[in-house]
Amino acid sequence: MMDILIPLIDASSYVLILVLIALGLMIIFGMMGVINMAHGELFMIGAYVMVLTQSAGLPFIVGLILAPLLVGLLGLIIETLLIRHIYLRPLDTILATWGLSIALKQGIVLIFGPEAQSVTSPIDATLIIGDFSYPMYRLIVMGISASLIAGTFWLFLKTDFGLMARAVIARPDTSAALGINTRRLYRWSFVIGTALAGLAGALIAPTISVDPQMGLGYLIPGFLSILVGGAGPLAGVLVGGGAVGGTSSLLTVWISPVAAQIAVFVLAILVIRLRPNGILGGKIEK
Amino acid sequence: MLEIKDLKAGYGEAMVLNDFSVEISHGQITALMGRNGMGKTTLLKAIMGLIPIKSGRILFNDTPIDNLQTYLISKAGVGYVPQGREVFDDFTVYENLRLAALGSSKQNLALLPKIYDWFPILKERLDQKAGTFSGGQQQILAIARALMTNPKILLLDEPTEGIQPSIVHEIGIQLSRIASETGLTILLVEQNVDMVKTMAEEIIFMENGKLTARCSAADLKNDDALLHRYLTI
Repeated sequence: MMDILIPLIDASSYVLILVLIALGLMIIFGMMGVINMAHGELFMIGAYVMVLTQSAGLPFIVGLILAPLLVGLLGLIIETLLIRHIYLRPLDTILATWGLSIALKQGIVLIFGPEAQSVTSPIDATLIIGDFSYPMYRLIVMGISASLIAGTFWLFLKTDFGLMARAVIARPDTSAALGINTRRLYRWSFVIGTALAGLAGALIAPTISVDPQMGLGYLIPGFLSILVGGAGPLAGVLVGGGAVGGTSSLLTVWISPVAAQIAVFVLAILVIRLRPNGILGGKIEK
Repeated sequence: MLEIKDLKAGYGEAMVLNDFSVEISHGQITALMGRNGMGKTTLLKAIMGLIPIKSGRILFNDTPIDNLQTYLISKAGVGYVPQGREVFDDFTVYENLRLAALGSSKQNLALLPKIYDWFPILKERLDQKAGTFSGGQQQILAIARALMTNPKILLLDEPTEGIQPSIVHEIGIQLSRIASETGLTILLVEQNVDMVKTMAEEIIFMENGKLTARCSAADLKNDDALLHRYLTI
């Protein structure tokens, strides 16, 4: 029983973080056509903010607040200096943000060195119910991730900001002709996407080793989730993140990490071959 | 009210508008007619800042708007109903209308009762997705949406295209009524002669990116030669 339950909870935990990262990617891609190759590095910087907070002796919660703020601020700077000049030019954005990702990675290496850093978990307790035991902190991370995902959905589906953002995704020119400042919406959506990545990095820092290369390990599955899920912007990410994260996490435990990687890519290829618009099959309107 | 001077604009190197000039006075309904490809849609897009302008000026109430971003042109009081309607298919009728108020000013939500009065069908179907509407209903929604921004001038790009004649007539009557009630200025790009005869007070004709003729509604009714010259192929 525990052989199944524990990997399932591990998988759900991975899926939730993956969805959080993929949501940020999807918001930025869906709205601006920007494929942000530096998204993984923003996630990594979130984790490093936590490293810094802890070495400064500040409480964990301060790190959780600082990470999205600082990474969001970094997002604002990146948007102003780089992204806004290349909106709606997907190929150029890949190159530019790829360059940015290298710069950010090397920046971290210069400051912290290439070796892995560790962040101690703020809660050592373990939840024990009968035979079942699971680290409390991981469960809390799951809870926070799920709330953040729900919060993002609420922001984009239920608020006026979300209505304008979805309008801009569907018809940018018409939205502007109705008086909507599309550039400002692009900017704040980019900041929200990056802040989410920063927060995800900070949240997950105590459960993984924090090193300059950690971003890529989440960026690729993040992109695959979007690809597999389809472009129905938000729900697609949930489905895709579930399929990619679930497959990868469960097969890693049950077979091997290599088999899991192969299975994920085979899954992605099959989905793209059989359902080019993703499992949910949303249309890309651009 | 709207003054366009020597406007050159187009796509890439090709100029569609060649020194186009016109003046549209306050409170008037002007129809712009001309064959396909003569630059009518391009003119409206250039006014809205949706395509770059090569040279020339566009003044709105004596203030230049040709260097403004689209959303600021809208906020200055220029309403736009694009060709093909461009309603937000996945949004409900109410969301389409609310969006226009969010873009312009939340105070414009106070215009809703007036909009419902002009277009009762929208009130009946507030929760229906715009994508499920017929072409004519979508056109009504697109016009109502533009009116929600409380414009001083309304630019309409072929509102009758692909719409059944009964609704065309209804839209024409309703727009005339709104214009006379509110003093709204209208620039209507149209190929449908009936619509133009129903609504327009003044007609301007366009050929190869230039203004070529101008006449009153009465002239148009009496003189079929104009129509033959500028519309028949």
